[in-house]
Amino acid sequence: MIKIDELKKNYGKLEVLKGISTEIGQGEVLAIIGPSGSGKSTFLRCINLLETPTDGQIWFKDQMITGKKTNIMKVRENVGMVFQHFHLFPHKTVLENLTYAPMKVKKLSKAEAVKQARELLTKVGLADKESSYPNRLSGGQKQRVAIARALAMNPEVMLFDEPTSALDPEMVKEVLDVMKSLAHTGMTMLIVTHEMGFAKEVADRVLFLDQGLLVEESAPEEFFSNPKSQRAKDFLEKVL
Amino acid sequence: MNLEFERIIPSLPYILEGIPTTLKVVAVAAVIGFVLGIFLSILKISRIKPLNWIADFYTSIFRGTPLVLQLMLIYFGSPQILGIQIEAFEAAFLAFGLNSAAYISEIIRGGILAVDKGQREAALALGVPYSGMMLNIILPQAIKNILPSLVNELISLTKESAVVTIIGLGDIMRRSYIVGGETYKFFEPILFAGLIYYVMVMVLTILGKVIERRMRRSD
Repeated sequence: MIKIDELKKNYGKLEVLKGISTEIGQGEVLAIIGPSGSGKSTFLRCINLLETPTDGQIWFKDQMITGKKTNIMKVRENVGMVFQHFHLFPHKTVLENLTYAPMKVKKLSKAEAVKQARELLTKVGLADKESSYPNRLSGGQKQRVAIARALAMNPEVMLFDEPTSALDPEMVKEVLDVMKSLAHTGMTMLIVTHEMGFAKEVADRVLFLDQGLLVEESAPEEFFSNPKSQRAKDFLEKVL
Repeated sequence: MNLEFERIIPSLPYILEGIPTTLKVVAVAAVIGFVLGIFLSILKISRIKPLNWIADFYTSIFRGTPLVLQLMLIYFGSPQILGIQIEAFEAAFLAFGLNSAAYISEIIRGGILAVDKGQREAALALGVPYSGMMLNIILPQAIKNILPSLVNELISLTKESAVVTIIGLGDIMRRSYIVGGETYKFFEPILFAGLIYYVMVMVLTILGKVIERRMRRSD
């Protein structure tokens, strides 16, 4: 579904991504892990072109999206993103957060958008919060709304950029549970995470990035029990 | 002290009739200033350098010269530049509107920059185009935060509108000055004009607070 070839990203002289290649199949759940500064988030943000790659190519369903003529907006409609700090729209209610983009971008009628938004809120267990403003929600609730907001665009891929890193520990599970059930629906997911237990349980594959390179790429059982590279071994020793 | 307010009582309605003139100038100039101010602020935060330069140059001109001078240039200069004498009202709308746009654009620019960058990314990640992102997501949040500064600008505009006296518009200021000339009593009518301005500014202040409270509903 997504093919990434020699993806590079520089900020000035700083090379954040030094050439990453991989392929992601339909319905696959990828956990992207690695030490901070390894380029995980940048990698993720290149996929929906929030960062413009310096070099290399990305194909989304056989269409190259890194060319000059790409309709970036069309790509982003199909790629949902969930941020570490939620970024809900604070001046809109929960329901309006979910209906805004479908109405604005996909030109859904208000009735359709509201119906769909309510279904999604029910799925993430927040049906009773539709008229609340984001400031009234806990971190875990905010992130579940953010997931629902991204899903409201009916994306084919979901990107998660450290979705639980800003949460209090007792709220991590409710968000991971929503992500787990999403994974079971066959959604293609790329998850930058520090939740090793979650990665082990839910991911089909683990990408280990370090210093802008894809150091290791394997099934979670194998990666966590028998990492091949020294860098992955060192990393796991620190976090597990 | 030798105050004789009774001497100007017959002239009070005449001074009060200046209120619509003042309000008209302020209202039209505020709309021009706000709309043009938003436009300029967007030029200022653009990544395209020449657009920044144009907007910054505009601001420097209108902030760098006296408002009276701008008003006089527009009013007295129009026959030479446009070949027609524009109405005093039109000159006032233009001068005050263009001038406050320069100040408002700086206020809005600051407001936009203060909105969390994540808001922009969240909107873009949903496929929302730049215009929608600005109008529906960034500006409402920016304006909520800068509302006190905008009310402040409106208050300044209300008081500075007294400058239209110079091009002969019959606003509150000019009328009170004329009454002074006719009665040989300047202190009383001008003090009365001051009272009118003060009341107008108080009304604006209260209005600003009401709007602010309504916009803070989401907090």
